Amino acid sequence: MALPSLTLLGQSLLSGLFIGALYGLLGLGLSLSWGMLRQINLAHFALAFLGAYLTYQLAGAGMDPLATLAVVVPGFFALGALMHWVFARFSVSAFNSLLVTFGLTAIIEALIQWIWTADFRRLESGYGEVKFRIGALYVALPELLTLAMAVALSLLTWAWLRYTYTGKAMRAIAEDAPIAAAFGVNVRGLSLLLSGLSAAFAGVAGLCLALSYTLAPAQIYAWLGVVFAAVMLGGLGNPLGPLVAGIVIGVSEALTMALTAPAWAPLVSFSLLIIVLLARPGKI
Amino acid sequence: MRWHALAGFAAAGIALSAVPFFGLPAFYESFLYLVFHWVVLAVSWNILSGYSGYFSFGHGAFFGAGMYTTATLATKAGVPFLWTLPAAGLVAALFGIALGAVVFRVPRLRGELFALLTLAVTFVLATVVLNTPIDGGPGLYLSAVPLPAIGPSPSSIFYLLALAAALAALWIAREIHRSKLGTGLFAIHDDEDVAEVLGVPTYRYKLAAFGVSCGLAGVAGGIQAMFISYVTVGETFSIAVPLYVVLMSVLGGSRHWFGPAVGAAFVTGLLYAFTAGDYAVAGRAAVGLILILVILFLPEGIFGEAVGWLKRRHRLSATPAAAPVIDVADIPAPAAAAAGKGGGEPMLEVRGLSKAFHGVQALAEVDLEVRRGEILGLVGPNGSGKSTLINVVSGYFRPDSGRILFEGRDLAALEAHRIARVGLARTYQIPRPFAHLSVLENVALPAMFGRGALKRADAEGEARRWLAFTGLAAKARSLPGELNLHQRKFLELARALASRPSLLLLDEVLSGLTHAEIDDAIRLIRAIRDQGATIVFVEHLIRAVMELTDRIVVLSYGRVIAQGDPRGVMREPDVVTAYLGKPYA
Amino acid sequence: MLEVERIQVSYGAAPAISEVSIRVGAGELVCVIGPNGAGKTTLINAIAGLHRIEAGALRLDGRDLSRLPQHAYCDRGIAIVPEGRRLFTGMSVRENLELGSYRRGARARRAESLERVCGVFPVLRERLAQPAGSLSGGQQQMLAIGRALMAQPRLLLLDEPSLGLAPAVVLAVFSVIKEINAGGVAVLLVEQSVAMALEIAARAYVLEEGRIAAEGRPDELLAQPHIRRAYLG
Repeated sequence: MALPSLTLLGQSLLSGLFIGALYGLLGLGLSLSWGMLRQINLAHFALAFLGAYLTYQLAGAGMDPLATLAVVVPGFFALGALMHWVFARFSVSAFNSLLVTFGLTAIIEALIQWIWTADFRRLESGYGEVKFRIGALYVALPELLTLAMAVALSLLTWAWLRYTYTGKAMRAIAEDAPIAAAFGVNVRGLSLLLSGLSAAFAGVAGLCLALSYTLAPAQIYAWLGVVFAAVMLGGLGNPLGPLVAGIVIGVSEALTMALTAPAWAPLVSFSLLIIVLLARPGKI
Repeated sequence: MRWHALAGFAAAGIALSAVPFFGLPAFYESFLYLVFHWVVLAVSWNILSGYSGYFSFGHGAFFGAGMYTTATLATKAGVPFLWTLPAAGLVAALFGIALGAVVFRVPRLRGELFALLTLAVTFVLATVVLNTPIDGGPGLYLSAVPLPAIGPSPSSIFYLLALAAALAALWIAREIHRSKLGTGLFAIHDDEDVAEVLGVPTYRYKLAAFGVSCGLAGVAGGIQAMFISYVTVGETFSIAVPLYVVLMSVLGGSRHWFGPAVGAAFVTGLLYAFTAGDYAVAGRAAVGLILILVILFLPEGIFGEAVGWLKRRHRLSATPAAAPVIDVADIPAPAAAAAGKGGGEPMLEVRGLSKAFHGVQALAEVDLEVRRGEILGLVGPNGSGKSTLINVVSGYFRPDSGRILFEGRDLAALEAHRIARVGLARTYQIPRPFAHLSVLENVALPAMFGRGALKRADAEGEARRWLAFTGLAAKARSLPGELNLHQRKFLELARALASRPSLLLLDEVLSGLTHAEIDDAIRLIRAIRDQGATIVFVEHLIRAVMELTDRIVVLSYGRVIAQGDPRGVMREPDVVTAYLGKPYA
Repeated sequence: MLEVERIQVSYGAAPAISEVSIRVGAGELVCVIGPNGAGKTTLINAIAGLHRIEAGALRLDGRDLSRLPQHAYCDRGIAIVPEGRRLFTGMSVRENLELGSYRRGARARRAESLERVCGVFPVLRERLAQPAGSLSGGQQQMLAIGRALMAQPRLLLLDEPSLGLAPAVVLAVFSVIKEINAGGVAVLLVEQSVAMALEIAARAYVLEEGRIAAEGRPDELLAQPHIRRAYLG
């Protein structure tokens, strides 16, 4: 096992950073709805992919990829709110929400395959062509965009929860919803808002997926495990958690790939997760 | 009854194994193979996840372990195909037991965390298999492996093996369902902590169920490996197995041993119909939709709802609702000789017991003793530590310091489920019956797992006697949810008594009852003591305390502030102050 | 101001309280005492909107409360200090107080209310940035009361404020409650600790096994055997 060159190491770290940012972006919505609403949305990934395919479709029809957000975000927001409404209406427990979204994932995946087939799809956009150079290292624009989105959304959510009145009300709901309501907080309304926001974040993650990766329906599950690991390691409901944990995982994976064989990378996140779950499940 | 079932299974087995000989189109054999294959997977999954409520999303890992064991042994070690099957089952079972041994020790890993952990394990195993010489990437080809020739066509062997596996899985599931292990698993499903305190060895039982479940999945994997003859990591460890077994069991009904088989047949049929019509993709969507609808509307599953509906109809037509009447005449023989009122030598000694929660000292250096044959009242204002004391003595919480000696034995050293065997039982302030077990099964459980360790038939007989004693005989087949608060409290009592305790701890058994019901309860408690049990009675209702108790202990802020004769103690200045404040003293 | 008329509330099949009627006039300090399990918390939770009533009427200033969604109770001027405090323990003291004034009517005067509450409870001012969970029992009780005060209520509901507190702290809490009432806020206090409650109340009700057993002024009640019998037998 020869030690790779510094350049290679640096490039690996950089790509680990970017993929970690994508883990964080994918995990943000999931962490929020799980931590604050006790809704475990397994379908978050399928939604993200749906968003990716929609971006691909709309961009193929001539729209600028970034502009597709104008369509995807509101649509997904409505979907997310609807999902929470159904969960509330049927008093679905946290565990059952896992099962229901399991089913929803299958439906969305089937929908994707029906419309776009199982063939690989790649969005060719101007963005993909642009590359920056930092010293000996290369950075592609889509990756930079992903990082920017992930950081921006995480920080904005964090700021919203920490500094605004409604954000604090949301945190109160997560702690003790009936007492929050006793002080005038509209629990129902805010919960719908948060659920919608989580789904909208999935849509944004979809855009980043479409810009950087080749899409195929089977890919939905490839991200599932790693992102769950990032969400749990980062602490449920913590808006900065998935990003930080995601980057840690991404960089560890990249290093593992550079120093050993690429295929061992998935082991990193799961091993980390299993260790954390066994060592201190109380964190979650 | 057993013979009927055995005969039924044998008949079905013979009838179905004749199918390949009818010369039907190959379609039927393949379809039925698939049905049997999924029956094994769903039924085996249900043994742990349906019965005990520990939903595993990792059934695919054990299935995959079995597949790769067969593939590896057959191609690389030249082991004859049929011999690889027990190996596949064994490897999968051992893998499951190893995982369970670690995971089940961690009390917080239940529910969704357990599900996600098992899902993670699947991915880890897939990665390991992919990157080591086990597979390495290209997959394993089994087409060169010789097949034993049984039956008219070369592929009949798979049909027959799958049939045998399905029958075996169903039989095992049925046996477990009816056994002590099954009852224990169902109790764990409803309330694991209470089950543990009643004497169910929860750790061992979960491990056993997990091992059996994984072993069967491994065997199904082994058969499938040969059937498809080309094994790859992607196909083996895909999301299909975990998703479908969950759906099939939930759809069919996860509380019954046959439910998953119904679900398996239904879903396989559905998927086949879609694939045949070139709508494979839509098939998967339909599967997802059905899962959602079932979770929202049919929580017991198709088979479960049907069985439940039949049971309810049978119950409603059979027995009329009767008011509980205490039939003190039909009392089971005393467990220990009554030492008469007032109490004999100390039976339970508590020395220097302390327990704190989040900085609040709930119990501080509590010293007290309970004498044989007495009814000891434990009183004190709200928050004085009465319930905490009961919880610590009965093993629900571990004390921070101090000793609890029960008939000379140090209880703090015992595991919770052993405390029931020692002769100590308790009731809960808010009744915690096993919601999905009938009243009779609720009371029979401690008789099976407690000191007497009776067989099911004897335990049920014993349970009936206790139900008669507490006036609940008419409700034996009802579910706890159908009882009112008074009846549920008496159910708690009957359940505590069924383990034949020599010391009974009653935690606010009278709260929420009406006047008449309280009089009933007082008579019952007296009768229990007259039979030979010693009772510690935590209560707020002072008139009941005065009527029943021989001695009382008063707690305030976690300390004992007075003990002795009830009337006298309640007049003591310290006690009056504790309750009403200084002006009254 | 507050009229509770023959209400019934159940948990599951059996009623926890039934045929309970109480009145609280504007600016009055009324307490409800009774042994544990009598239904005191159920009563106060029903008045705060935390639990639905099955029968009877609940009126504030003549208007029916029972049809309102839970988050509208606060708007009408009711604030609760729940049993066991139920603070937002992961959030800071300041944030807990800010959430107290979440309702529209109180929001604009938040800064002013915060000043006033810190004046009443100086110990909170020093700890504004600390997480609520790190406070001692007595300080948490102060915070819970402060949080309710931030809502600028006309009726303050307190559920067993003495629970889990050392006697000296209880004295401090009760003198604060008296002060608040002196400032014009009506108070309905539910307590297990008789002496403290009767010392500050203008009127009292005795709740026993889910029903009102007696009512009257403290001196009237002390003269009757009900209380002693209910608690001590």
